[in-house]
Parts: sequence; C-alpha cells; structure tokens
Amino acid sequence: MLEHYLLAACVGGIVAALAAGIFYRRKLKAGEQVQRLARERAEVLEAQLEAAHDLAEEASREHAEFEARLADLRAEAQQGAHERDALQTSLDAARAHGDEWLQHATRIAQEAARLKTLCITFERWHEQMISLMSQNRDMHKKNQELSSIVQHVLIVSLNASIEAARAGTAGRGFSIVAGEVRSLASRSQDLSKSYRESLHRNDLTTAATFQDIQAGGKMITASLGGVEALATQFQSRLEQVAA
Amino acid sequence: MITDQAKQSIADIFCHAARARLPAAPGDACEITAVPMWNRDRPAAPCAMVLTISSIGFRLLFVLHFSKDEATRAYYVGDDTTRSLPETLMELGNLCCGYMNQQLVNDFPDLGMSTPYELHSACVEYLDELRPDQVWTYELTIGGAVRLGVTLCLCAQAPLDFRAELATADEREGELELF
Repeated sequence: MLEHYLLAACVGGIVAALAAGIFYRRKLKAGEQVQRLARERAEVLEAQLEAAHDLAEEASREHAEFEARLADLRAEAQQGAHERDALQTSLDAARAHGDEWLQHATRIAQEAARLKTLCITFERWHEQMISLMSQNRDMHKKNQELSSIVQHVLIVSLNASIEAARAGTAGRGFSIVAGEVRSLASRSQDLSKSYRESLHRNDLTTAATFQDIQAGGKMITASLGGVEALATQFQSRLEQVAA
Repeated sequence: MITDQAKQSIADIFCHAARARLPAAPGDACEITAVPMWNRDRPAAPCAMVLTISSIGFRLLFVLHFSKDEATRAYYVGDDTTRSLPETLMELGNLCCGYMNQQLVNDFPDLGMSTPYELHSACVEYLDELRPDQVWTYELTIGGAVRLGVTLCLCAQAPLDFRAELATADEREGELELF
C-alpha cells in the first residue's frame, strides 16, 4: 500500500515535474513571445517615433520657412505700403500740378481770347489812316487849286509885262513890278510842285505803314487764334485726365 | 538778305496769282512782262491800288496800276452799273493778293493781309522811302486789250530764303475747283 502510495507519489511527482516543466517551458515561450512582441512593438514605436521626429523636424523647418516667408511678406507689405504712400503723395502732387496746369491753360485760353480783341485797336488805327489819307486828299485838292491860281498869276504877270512893254518908258516901273510878280509866281509854282511831291510821298508812306499795321494786326490775331485753340485743346485734355 | 531762290519764288507766285485772278473771265489771256522801274519818262498808269502782305520778318507791297480808259472799263465793268472800275479792280487785286498770301503761308505760317487802298500812281516814285530790298515791275496785257501795271516791293527785316512749290498748289487748287 505504501508502495502504491510511493509510486503514486512518484508518478504524481513526475507528473507534477512534467507539468511544471511544461508550464515553465510554456511560460518561457510565452515570455519569449512577449519579449519578441515587445521588441517588435518597440521597433515599430521607435520607427514611428523616428517618423514623428522627422515630421516634427520637417514641420519645424517648414515653420521656420513660413516664418521667414511671413517676415518677407511683412517686409514687402511694409515696402508696398511705403511705396503706396509715396505714390499717393506723388499722385496728390500730380493732381495739384494738373489743377495748376488746368488753371494756367484756362488762363492762357482766356488771355488769348481777350488779346484777339486787339484787332479792334488795329482797325481803329486803320480808320485813323483813312482819316489821314482823307486829309491828304484835301491837301492835294487845295494844292491843285493853289497851283491853278499860281498858273493864273503867272499868265497875268506875263500879260502885265507885255502891257508894260507897250507903254514904253511910262510902263518901266510897272514892268519891274510885273517881273517881280512873275518871279514870285514861278517860285510859288515850284513850291506847289514840291508840295505835291511831298504829299505823294506822304500818301505812300502813310498807306504802306498803316497797311503794315493792319496786316500785322490780322497776323497777330490769327496767331492768337491758334494759341487759343491749342490752349483750349490742352485744357480739355487736362479736364479729361482729371475726370 | 533775300536769296535768289526767294526772289524767284515771289516772282513765280505773283505770275501764277496774276494769271489766276486778274483776268475778268477764267481763260482770258494774261501776258506778263518784266519791265524796268517806272519813271517820269515811262510812268505807270495813273491810278493805283495798294495792298500789303505782312509777316514777322518781311512785308510785301502789291501795287496795281490801271487807267480809267474805255478799254479797261469795257473789259472789267461792261454794262454793270452797280460797281465802279476802281471797286472792281480793287476786288480783283484783293483776290490776286489773297492767292499770293495762300501760297506764301505754306512757308510763312504767320501772315496777314491788309485791305486794299486807292492811291495815285505817282506815289510809287517814292518807294525808296520804304527802303525796299527788292522791287519788281511788270506790264500786263489782259484779254489782249487791257494794259495794267504791277509793282511789287519787298522790305525784309530778316534773312529770307524759301522755295515755292507752285505745281502742287495748283493741283490742289484744281482739285478744289472740281467741287
């Protein structure tokens, strides 16, 4: 009985030892598997960590680049703002100049239009020429009349000389007087001729001078018309630009 | 100083203007002869109309001499009782100068022309008073019957040089006349 108990105990011990061995082996295998799994997990984690690290580095680099770009953009924006301000200032100045030019163009056009009325002055001078020439014509007539009288006196004095000669000694004194009258008439005739020549000379210089003034006036008026037209065109262009 | 080219151009312009404007009817003959300056032995016709073309640097005096004889009156006035011979000739002289002005304005943009004025032809004996730089005198026979005289007197205050392009101007005028 005891043997049975001992055998049973031995068998039991062996079974227990086998079970313990199996259990230990299984435990060992399970431990190895766990270790393997842990190692694999650790490797995966390490790879993931490395990837995350790379991503983080990349994100950091991108962030830095983004910051740099942002700084550049801010600088550009600031520069743009400065340029815009400068352009605005220039534009304001150009507008002010434009307004000033517009005012000048308007004034030039107005002045040209006003000066065109100078033709009234030139016409007045021309009318004065007509008046002067009319006076000259009157002097021509009077000189012609004087010349006729002198011619008549000359004939009368010649007749007187003839009559004095007929009277002989009694007419000697009268002959001297008649001769003197003829001499005076002859000088008057020369003077009248000279006066006529002076009047013709005066006619020519007066007419030529006043015609030059009249034609020059028309020339100036036409030129001012051209200036007025140009100023008006300039004015309307400035107005279009301003609008 | 007036160059030979400018003198010739003015003479050519006058000849074209006279042929175009002085005959009473288009197509009538107009013979132009350059003659020596008028003097007491060879005076111009007694009546004259004077007209001035002025520029900045020069002035050109145009004097048309005419007689109030029957031939001239018959040719220019005919039976028209509404206008006198001087009025008719002053109008034609004005047209002639207008033609010259039109040609000259191509080279001288600043030009003006006076209105005509009647003078005695004896006045041209004193042209020296104006200190002219060049004087031209012409005898014209219009329509084979009428004799006119023309004196052109140029006074320049600045050098004058240009060349008139008359052929082109005539063509242009011809084109205008078609309309």
